[in-house]
Amino acid sequence: MTSPFRLLWSRLRSLVSKDRLDRDFDDELATHLELLTDDARRRGLSEPDARREALLKLGRPASLREQHRDARGFPLLNALVQDSRYAVRVLWKSPAFTVVVTLTLALGIGANTALFSLVDNLLLRSLPVRDPDRLVQLQVFSAHRIPGLFPKPWASSFDRTVFDSVRAQKQVFADLVGFMRLEDRPTITVDGAVEPEREVEQVSANFFTGLGVSPILGRSPVASDDNVAVISARWWRDRFGRREDVIGRALTIAGNSYSIIGVAPPRFHGFEVDRSADIWISPASEDLMMVARLMPGVTPVQAQAAVHPLLRQVVLERDPRSQSEPMETEALAVGQGLSALRDQYKTALLALMALVAVVLLTTCTNVGNLLMLRNAARRRELTVRAALGAGRSRLIVQSLVESTLLAATGCIAGLLLAQWGVSIVLSMLPLPEPPGGLAFDADTRVVGFAAGVSVLSVLLFGFGPAWRATDVDLTGALRSSQGVTAPKRTRRLGRVLVACQIGLSVLLLVGAGLFVQTVRNLSRLDMGFSVDTLLQVKIDPRFAGYKEGQIAALHRLLLERVSAVPGVRLTSSVDYPLMQGSSTSMAISLPGLERRNDEMWDAVGVGPQFFETMGIELVRGRTFTAADFASDYVPAPVSGSGPRQVSELVRRNGPFIINEAFAKHYYGNADPLLTASPVVGIVRDVKLLGVGSEISPLMFLVSRRPGRFGALVVRTARDTQAIAPAIREAIQTVHPQLFVGLSTVGEAMNRNIAKERMVAAISAFFGLLGLSLACMGIFGVASSNVAQRTRELGIRRALGAGGWSIIRESLRETLVVVAVGLAGGAVAAFVAVRLAASVIADLLFGLTATDVNNLVSAIGVMVVVALAACTLPALRATRIDPLAVIRDE
Amino acid sequence: MSGPGKLDLLQGTLDLMVLRTLATLGSLHGYGIARRIEQVSGDHVILNQGTIYISLVRLEERGWIRSKWGVSENNRRARFYTITKAGEKQLAAETENWERVTAMVGRVLADRGAES
Repeated sequence: MTSPFRLLWSRLRSLVSKDRLDRDFDDELATHLELLTDDARRRGLSEPDARREALLKLGRPASLREQHRDARGFPLLNALVQDSRYAVRVLWKSPAFTVVVTLTLALGIGANTALFSLVDNLLLRSLPVRDPDRLVQLQVFSAHRIPGLFPKPWASSFDRTVFDSVRAQKQVFADLVGFMRLEDRPTITVDGAVEPEREVEQVSANFFTGLGVSPILGRSPVASDDNVAVISARWWRDRFGRREDVIGRALTIAGNSYSIIGVAPPRFHGFEVDRSADIWISPASEDLMMVARLMPGVTPVQAQAAVHPLLRQVVLERDPRSQSEPMETEALAVGQGLSALRDQYKTALLALMALVAVVLLTTCTNVGNLLMLRNAARRRELTVRAALGAGRSRLIVQSLVESTLLAATGCIAGLLLAQWGVSIVLSMLPLPEPPGGLAFDADTRVVGFAAGVSVLSVLLFGFGPAWRATDVDLTGALRSSQGVTAPKRTRRLGRVLVACQIGLSVLLLVGAGLFVQTVRNLSRLDMGFSVDTLLQVKIDPRFAGYKEGQIAALHRLLLERVSAVPGVRLTSSVDYPLMQGSSTSMAISLPGLERRNDEMWDAVGVGPQFFETMGIELVRGRTFTAADFASDYVPAPVSGSGPRQVSELVRRNGPFIINEAFAKHYYGNADPLLTASPVVGIVRDVKLLGVGSEISPLMFLVSRRPGRFGALVVRTARDTQAIAPAIREAIQTVHPQLFVGLSTVGEAMNRNIAKERMVAAISAFFGLLGLSLACMGIFGVASSNVAQRTRELGIRRALGAGGWSIIRESLRETLVVVAVGLAGGAVAAFVAVRLAASVIADLLFGLTATDVNNLVSAIGVMVVVALAACTLPALRATRIDPLAVIRDE
Repeated sequence: MSGPGKLDLLQGTLDLMVLRTLATLGSLHGYGIARRIEQVSGDHVILNQGTIYISLVRLEERGWIRSKWGVSENNRRARFYTITKAGEKQLAAETENWERVTAMVGRVLADRGAES
C-alpha cells in the first residue's frame, strides 16, 4: 500500500517546485501535441487542420494544466480555497446579514481586545528596557508600617554625591540611573515660540545607556554632555513631523537652552506610566530618584543591606528628628514602571474584563442565532447540495469557513473598535493627558489576542448552527411539497440560544446596575457643604514671582478683586485645593485633650468666611472672625482662672474649629468648647478631601501663612459657568501668570470618581448592548412562532377565539423561552455576585454586590424589554385573516 | 461543481488501463499510452488524451509507476513511464476486482426474468 508520507512528501515537493513542474508538464503536452499533429499530417490533413485536430484530441491545455496541478497538489487546500470563494460570494449577496453579524462580532471582539490592551499595558507588560526584571528603585521608608496604606518614603531622591557612591557599589549594582520629573510643567519654547506644556524629566547622563534604551534617531547622552535633551517619539511625530533635522535643534525649558540630540523609541515613556515624559534633559540639577540594575545573582535584600547605612545617613542629615525613627531601605522592583493607576484601576480593569467576556458570549449567541435563522432560510440549497452528494463533513466545513470569514472581518473591525475604545477609556482617566504607555498599539500580543478571541467565537457561534444546518433529512425534505422547513431540533437550538441571551443580558444588567448606582450614590452623597454654585480657582504665585511671605497678602488682594466680580456672593481661600486629598498633618497638644502617642490630625488652613462660603453648617460656638486673622491667637480670658500657658504651636495656629467627628472621637462626652480650649467652634462633618474620603476627624486652622498650593473658593449666584471668565479676568489683572485653572467643585468631584464613572459608563454601554441583542433575539423567536402557527391561529380565529386568547396562544412558546432565560440569568447573576462580591467591593459605594433590589430591577428591566419585543408579533397574530388562511388550505 | 461520481468511475478505469498498457509495453510516453489504448479498444475509448497525464500523476504519486526524461521519436523532450513492482501488484489486484465487479453487474443486467 502507498504510505501516506510518500504522498505528503511528493505533494509538499510539488508545492515548492510548482513552477518547474508546470514547465515540465508544458513540455510533455507540447511533445504530445506535436506527435498528434505529425500523425494527422501523415493521414494527409492540411497543416491548419492537423493542428486543429491535434488540439481537439488533446483537450484544452489551460484546463489540463489546472487539473494536473490539482492532482499533484493538496485537494483539501483546494477545496478550502473553493469554499472560501463560495462563502465570500454568499456573504456578499446578503450584505445586511453580513454587516450586522460583522458589527456584532466586532463589538464582542473589540471590547475584549480593548480591555486586554489596557490590562496588558498596565498590569502585565514590562517597560521596554533591557532586563526590566533586574531594575529596582532605592528608597528609605519608616519601618513602622500601617497595614493597607502605602507608606510615604523618608527619602526617595538623592543628590549627586549619594548617587555616585551608590553607583560605585559595583559588586551589587550593574548600573544606577537617576531621574526626576519636573513637578510643574515648565514653559518650553522652540525657536522662540512657546509650546504647549509637556512633561519634562531630568535624568542622569547614563539614563538611556543604563536602561538599554537606544534612541531611534541621534544618540544617547554621555557624561560630558552639557544641556542636552532627548525627546519622545510621540513629540517628535506631533511637533516635528518626524523630521530628521530635529537633531541639533535648540529648545528652552524654563529659560535654559538645551540641544536635542536624540529621539527615544516609540514605546518608551519614562518610568512614570501615568504621566508620559516627552523630554528628558541631562545633566540633572536636582536630586534624583535612583533606579539600580542589580548584578546577576544579587537579590533585592542584599542590595538593600548594601546601601542602607549610606542612605540612612542621608536621611539623618536632612532631618535630625529622624534619629529615633526606625528605618529601612527598600529596593522595589520597577520593571513595570511606577503607576498609581495600576493600584487604583487594577480591580476595575479585571471586573470589566469579566464583563466583556460576558459581552463576547452574548454577541456570539446572537450571531449563532442569526446564522441559524439564515441557514434555515438556505435549507433548500443545503438539501440540494447534500442530494448531489456533498458529504455532511464537507457541508460543515463549508459552514465553518463562512463563520471563520465572518470572524476574521469581525476581528479586523474589532481591532479598530478597540483602538477607539481604548482612547475613550484613557480620556476618562483623571489625568491631564492620556498616558502614552497605555495607548492602543496593535502589536503581535494584541493582534494575537484578538485573533484568539475570534477563533474562540467561531467555535462558540459557528459550530452549533453548522451541525444543525447540515443535519439534512433528504427523503423527508424531497418528499415534502411544502418545500423545506427547519426541523424541530433547529428551532429548539434557536430557542436555547435566545434563552442564553436573556440570561447573559440579566448578568450584564446586574453588573451595570451595581456600577451605575454606585455613581449615583456617590454623586448624591451629602458632602456636608452645598456643591452647586461653588467654584474653585487654582493659582500659582510662583509663576508670577511671589515669595512665600507675600502669599497671604496676595490672597487678600485676590479675594477682594474676585468679590467685586458681579454674580460672586462670597469668597474665601483654602491652603490646599479641595477634592484632592490634600491636608496638613498636625500634632498639637490641645489643653484638656489627651493626645495619644504620635497621633497626627488632619488639618486644613482656611481663609476668612470659609464656612459661610462653603455653606458648612455651624453646630456650636462660632466660626472664625476677622480678628482671628489679624493676629496671633490669644485665648479669651476665662473667668475664675488666671492667664493660661499656651503652647507656641497653639499660639501660632489657633484658634481652632473642629468637626463633629473630631469632637466625638477625641473628646467623647467632654465638651470641647467648655474646657477652656483654643477650640472655638464645632461644624458639621464635611468631605473636603474627596468624594470617597471617609468622614474623619478634621481640624480647621486660620490660614495665616498660606503656601503656594492655596486655592480660592467662590460662591456664585445661579449661573456659575457664566461668571467664570470674569473671575479669571479679575485674577489675571493682578498678574497675568497667576491663574492656573478654574472648575466647579462639582467637576472636581467628578474627577474624584472618575474610576467609578468609567466603570459605570462602560458597563452601562454593554448592558444596553446586551439588552438590545436579547430584544432582537426575542423578537425573532416570537415572530417565527407566529409565522409558523399562522394556519392554526387563523383556524382558532375562525372558530371564534378572542384577541386575548390569540395573543396568549401565539406568545406561549416565546414566554417560556423568556422565563427560562430569566430564571437562568437570575441564578447565574446570584452566583456571580456572590463570587465577585469581595473583589468588586472597592468599586461599589452605597450598596453591596449582593444587593437584592439590583437583581430584581435587572430582571424587571429584562421583562419589560421582553414584553416590548413581543408586542409586534402578538399584534400580527391578532391580525391574521381567518379567511385568507382557509383559502390557502 | 464537476459531477464527482462520473469522474470517479472514469478515473479508476483510466488508471487501470494505463497500468495495463505499461505492464504490456514497458516504457512509454503519454502519447504512446493514449495511442495504444485507442488502438486496443478499437477507437472505442475516446478521451481527451490530456487526461492521461492526470492519471499518470496520480499513479506516480502512489508509487505504481515511475518516469524518466528521454527523447521522443520526433526528437522532442518527453517523459517515459514504466510500471513498478508495486504497480504490478496493484494491477493484479485491481484487475481481479474489476472482473469480479463486471461479472456481477453483467449477471444483474442479464437478469430479465422478472420483467415481463
